[in-house]
Amino acid sequence: MKSKIFLILAILITSALLVTACQPAVEEPVVEEPVVEEPVVEEPDVEEPVEEPVVEEPEEEEVVVEEPVEEDEGPCLIIGALHGGPITDAGYNQAMHESVMTIKENIPCVEIIVAENVPEEAGATSTMVNMIQQGAGMIIATAFNHQYPAIELAEQNPDVIFQHAGGWELRDNFGNFFTEPPDTWYMMGVAAGLMTETNKLGFVGAFPLGWTNTFINSFTLGAQSVNESVETIVAFTFDWGDSAKEADATNSLINQGVDVITMHVDSPATVISTAESRGAYSIGFQNLAAQDYAPEYWISGIGHTLGGTLTWLTSNVIDGTWEPIFLRCGIGAGCMAMAPFGPNVPQEVQDQVLEVKDAIVDGELTVFAGPIFDQEGTERVAEGEELPVAMMGSVDWYVQGVIGSPQ
Amino acid sequence: MSLLAILGVLSSAIFSGTSLLYTTLGETLHQRAGIVNLGLEGIMLISAATGYRVAVETGNPYIGILVAMIVGGLTNMIIGFLVVTRKANQLASGLATMFFGFGLSALIGRDYVGVRITPLPRIPFPGTANLPLLFASLFRFDFLIYLVIPVAVLIWWLLFRTRWGLGLRAVGENADTAFASGRNPFWIKYQALGIGGMLAGLGAAHLSIAYTMNWSQFMTGGRGFIAVALVIFSKWHPLRAIGGALLFSGAVAFQLMLQSSGVRVSPFLLDTIPYLITLLVLIIWGGTRKHAAPASLGRVYQGGQQ
Repeated sequence: MKSKIFLILAILITSALLVTACQPAVEEPVVEEPVVEEPVVEEPDVEEPVEEPVVEEPEEEEVVVEEPVEEDEGPCLIIGALHGGPITDAGYNQAMHESVMTIKENIPCVEIIVAENVPEEAGATSTMVNMIQQGAGMIIATAFNHQYPAIELAEQNPDVIFQHAGGWELRDNFGNFFTEPPDTWYMMGVAAGLMTETNKLGFVGAFPLGWTNTFINSFTLGAQSVNESVETIVAFTFDWGDSAKEADATNSLINQGVDVITMHVDSPATVISTAESRGAYSIGFQNLAAQDYAPEYWISGIGHTLGGTLTWLTSNVIDGTWEPIFLRCGIGAGCMAMAPFGPNVPQEVQDQVLEVKDAIVDGELTVFAGPIFDQEGTERVAEGEELPVAMMGSVDWYVQGVIGSPQ
Repeated sequence: MSLLAILGVLSSAIFSGTSLLYTTLGETLHQRAGIVNLGLEGIMLISAATGYRVAVETGNPYIGILVAMIVGGLTNMIIGFLVVTRKANQLASGLATMFFGFGLSALIGRDYVGVRITPLPRIPFPGTANLPLLFASLFRFDFLIYLVIPVAVLIWWLLFRTRWGLGLRAVGENADTAFASGRNPFWIKYQALGIGGMLAGLGAAHLSIAYTMNWSQFMTGGRGFIAVALVIFSKWHPLRAIGGALLFSGAVAFQLMLQSSGVRVSPFLLDTIPYLITLLVLIIWGGTRKHAAPASLGRVYQGGQQ
């Protein structure tokens, strides 16, 4: 009998420890006294991204932030930002976290509450409620599955502005934003197509999801634009963070003759360092910091740099001109950026990639312009048409030249 | 399917099988002493995170591995306290420890996701140093890999050729008899848990410090449970565990090789191959008459004096 009591006690203690350890780390709000010395003139930083980010709202004019700082009062706006994973993952979450923290640099009077490791919906709801109770007037949710919990709360809290990364829904106080990675994947494909000697590129994916498939297609089309005989071999790990399987998949691709590796998993660390140890080139995605893992065989990479856009959205919230928009912005608007080239990338390759980059920035290049055929030879995009953005999230086919099965 | 691809499967099987084998050897010791330890997954995560953190902080992977081993052994003492001293239910204690490990490891590794470490040096397997780089790089192993088979032999020798091993097995078969013959079942169970935990810690250290050179949450991806299955798979025998670990990790590498060689089969289906093989072997094993399972596996030992 006594031992049963102890068992229950032990389990209780353990679960108590567990619960505290799993609690999303809500950081203490960074309350900084507004700096009085330089209260205004944040415009130069804020203005830049304003030119292009609005995609669906063509009539939007230049917005200049006037007097973002109300001195002597508390924070002009409390922002609650929540992320699905750790903000130090050298991947998506870190990129989003850095973007959010840029707001604070540009508009010092805001206060930002950060919560990381909020993977599931229930946790997201309670985290956001907690943030609203702390006075948050704006919520930035960056994980894909935060969308519906956020909408639910948006309907209950009409005074709070919600911004979700990657979603598609719109409400009176709920907008969304994201980057346009497919174009930049095309650019990386060009780099890979020029660098490969075996004409085999490798892609390590977590799951064959619509967007991942779109990235693979775009990457392959880019590579084929400069190298007709190039193939992309795909391997999936079925886990966003099983590092050992990522290493196995990377090795497996290299053993098939692949000499350029890229990936769409949570953290690029394992894939890139494994490729480096095997002497294969790598291309990064999500966060520009991935270069650190490949001092020698790094080609380049693309990352999300949404700081400017988020600053612009925040300034709109502050001066009351915010409207819910479906916002997608690409490398031209500064929402994405390209990492520096690695030491082994020849100047001609760099020039050619930068040419493609310019074409994307100027809007002269459409990646998914027809005719595009899938692996079986079925026409997926007809001559003269292009794949609509709304379709990209549900692509379940690969272009010709991709080795692998999408479903 | 090229020679490189086939050798690649072998290489990957050895690399990712090593951590699995260390852990399986640890669990073999636990189960031989009569304890089913379902907490391995959590223990591995805590060891991997702590070892990685120490390796980053000290800049020395060896210290990281040592710490991961010690931490593995110490964390197992929680289970020891619960199931040996407090005589708690083994399954409940194991699962609680596992969940505890999920949370604690996330906390320990929180600021170390994606931080770089000094990798362990990799020594070419004798005779492969002169192969072309792409081949040679398949057979450059770290010292933990070279050490794993000798460790398996050592565990076999300890279990089946020493008095200590005889005592440990006796405790797993019938703790009362072992007690009657002058052994202390409590002390022996603690020893098994301590050494087994250190082996699991070593496996976890190989995963984070040596192989993937990375820490990420839940990075063990169920390997703690696979180890429990492999113990049954290898019929509680340390030498058969070598084959089991190689077979399982070879199946993972094989399905990835199939994926990347462009086989037109759904990757969802290919991903289940390793588990299908495990099921298949369990079905075949299940048919044999002789059961090697320790007789009092999972049973609570109430103590010698009635």
